Amino acid sequence: MTLFTKVGCEKCEYVKKAVDLDSLGVTEQRLSGDNYEALAELAYHGLVEQAQKTLPILVTGEEEVVYHAGRIRSYLQRQARA
Amino acid sequence: MAHQATLRPVSGGSADTTDLALFVQTSQEEVAGWNPERIVEALVRETFIDRDTAVSIAADVEELIKSAKIKFLTAPLIRELVDAKLIERGLEQARKMHTRLGMPLYDVEQLITAQNKENANIPHGPEATNLTLAENIKKEYALLNVFSPEVAEAHMRGDMHLHDLGFVDRPYCSGQSIEYVKKFGLNLPNALSIAKPAKHAEVLLAHMVKFAAALQCHFAGAIGWDAVNMYFAPFLTNMSDERLHQFAQMLIFEFSQQAVARGGQAIFTDINIYWEIPDHFVNTPAIGPGGQETGKTYAEYEKEAQRFAWALFDVYNEGDGSGRPFFFPKPLVHITEKFFKTEGHEAFLEHICDVAAERGNTYFVFDRGETAKVSECCRLSFKLNDSDLNDAATPWKMRFSALQNATINLPRLAYRAEGDDAKLFEMVAEGVRLTVEAHRQKKQFIEKLLEMGEGGPLGLLTMDEDGERYLRMHRVSYLVGMVGLNEMIQAHIGQELHESEEAYRLGLKIIAHMKLVADKYGEKHDMHFVLEQTPAESTAYRFAKLDIKQFGEAARRVVKGNEELNEVYYTNSTLFNVASDNHALERVEREGRFHPLIEAGAITHVWLGEQRPPAESMANLVEKIFRNTANDQVAFSPEFTTCLDCGKTDRGLHENCAYCGSENIEGITRITGYFTKLSSWNKGKLGELKDRYRNDNAFGGSAAARAG
Repeated sequence: MTLFTKVGCEKCEYVKKAVDLDSLGVTEQRLSGDNYEALAELAYHGLVEQAQKTLPILVTGEEEVVYHAGRIRSYLQRQARA
Repeated sequence: MAHQATLRPVSGGSADTTDLALFVQTSQEEVAGWNPERIVEALVRETFIDRDTAVSIAADVEELIKSAKIKFLTAPLIRELVDAKLIERGLEQARKMHTRLGMPLYDVEQLITAQNKENANIPHGPEATNLTLAENIKKEYALLNVFSPEVAEAHMRGDMHLHDLGFVDRPYCSGQSIEYVKKFGLNLPNALSIAKPAKHAEVLLAHMVKFAAALQCHFAGAIGWDAVNMYFAPFLTNMSDERLHQFAQMLIFEFSQQAVARGGQAIFTDINIYWEIPDHFVNTPAIGPGGQETGKTYAEYEKEAQRFAWALFDVYNEGDGSGRPFFFPKPLVHITEKFFKTEGHEAFLEHICDVAAERGNTYFVFDRGETAKVSECCRLSFKLNDSDLNDAATPWKMRFSALQNATINLPRLAYRAEGDDAKLFEMVAEGVRLTVEAHRQKKQFIEKLLEMGEGGPLGLLTMDEDGERYLRMHRVSYLVGMVGLNEMIQAHIGQELHESEEAYRLGLKIIAHMKLVADKYGEKHDMHFVLEQTPAESTAYRFAKLDIKQFGEAARRVVKGNEELNEVYYTNSTLFNVASDNHALERVEREGRFHPLIEAGAITHVWLGEQRPPAESMANLVEKIFRNTANDQVAFSPEFTTCLDCGKTDRGLHENCAYCGSENIEGITRITGYFTKLSSWNKGKLGELKDRYRNDNAFGGSAAARAG
């Protein structure tokens, strides 16, 4: 799973505080002016334009895309309990 | 010409009474007597050399002419002799400032007699020759006097390509609307007459065509027009179907047959078309006859706009007098969320797909979410920001331009990196830096010309009917292009973009890196640097040839085409190898993931060959592309053979006419982003044409066909 975030994004922090990303095997890709790897990964998933409007974005292992911090948090918490 | 004369003594030098007569054929087309003072004046005027040094140099040249017993003197020869003396004295800067620009006699002869194929849109003729000769001088001027040595040398080596150097004194492309001439009429600098705002559709069209021709003289590239069907709509109320069809014919034939500017080429015109009224124009007061507001908004002209859009595509479908597709104007249909919610869209989509399948004209531009664009050229687009959308209330202000395009030669970065990732990415950043420097220098030069106002060389671009210069420098983009991403990746890891996930992801990283570096420079210099998929009509060929020369086997391993026939090329920009047999939807989807990184525009080509897919199938595909991919723009390209004897046109590329058997035929298909005749293509593009995979698996039917 991949979680796209960016610096200064409060909703991104909200998600990160709620779950242990490492234990769930979630890779955080922090978008910034220097991180071309994260941007390329975002483009690979076809999410560049979406990320301009909303972050965080979660791409699951099944290549599903989950938007909005609340839904992402709920999803990840369910994964943690499973 | 040069005979016996007495040399007059040079002031401050020694008198010479040699009995030698000299006449000089000057550059003012007259024959003058030898006068070394002219050398002195030129040196003092054109360089920073002091008079004493200039006098000494003039004396040296005089001595040289005497001793060589030169019989025939021309001004260019004298200038070269002076330059040689400057070099001898180590005065290189002065030599550069004093240098003469031009071409050898032999080259001029060749140009006048043989066609230049750098631009397939330029026919062979006296105007084209004038253009090429002028361009050659301006190219030299640009490399010596506009761009720094670092940038000029990077261009000449082939590390990057500065597009349209021969048009260094112009911006690149422009996008605007006809609201400008609707509101203000036609009052162009240096025009012999002024026209008030048009009261009738046909007159408005005449204004638009003339304005386009004038703009074509001030820009190097495409002239794009936004929302054409919508803006004409207030002039088309109550027009009968027959008259509307006639009017649509007039528009298309006017733009496809105006071959007056830029060396006699057709005006490179793009018309943006919407089925719906875009949200940002819904409340815009409509301007009608006489430049007056009609009292309605454009939303209330939706039916007229749709009728006109339909009629335009009827004309495209008919083709020209011999059944060939129209080369211009290029119709760019915007596919948006609102399109799919607008009544009648299904029928219109099938109609434009029918044209795409039959003639290939339609460009499908995908505006997803709240994106709005003015598109033009082969793929260039200007994304409208919030300020632009506010300007929609005064649409004559919506004018955009790209000032310059500078393209990086990506494959050679891989040759130099020799497999080292860190080195590769570092060189990519350096490549972007060089293009940024080029853009800053071009900007400075253009600003200098603009400052001369309406009496200067860019007078038309400084006209300010609405309180703002026509060329709005604060909304100008600076394009950073790329050629050969496919070959770069292939050279770096041994696989092409379509061959593995690793190659594909590496390609995305390279482009993402370019974008972020360009963004950083944009913040630093307060300039809008954006990536563009360079059309690269001749650049892909130029880079490939240079790299074979400079990098030998390293380049040969990846350069495409046939070196023996000199038909070599790099794959354009971020495209997949044109020969890769991906299903069309897969190609569109995979290439499309690059598109959001390339803000100034990208396109995927689906080559059809002879195939004529059903319009309904194509319409389904177009909707799938919109909904399921990030692709910016798609064009479907059939191929045609037109007979110059019987005048008939057939599908596919053949050696003989299918009707009369004649060999006097002309092939037609899309070169980069526009249709043109194969006889005007450069060798690199001909090589690419042979390799193109013709998609018949997107629509069902027989196995994929490749050209022989």
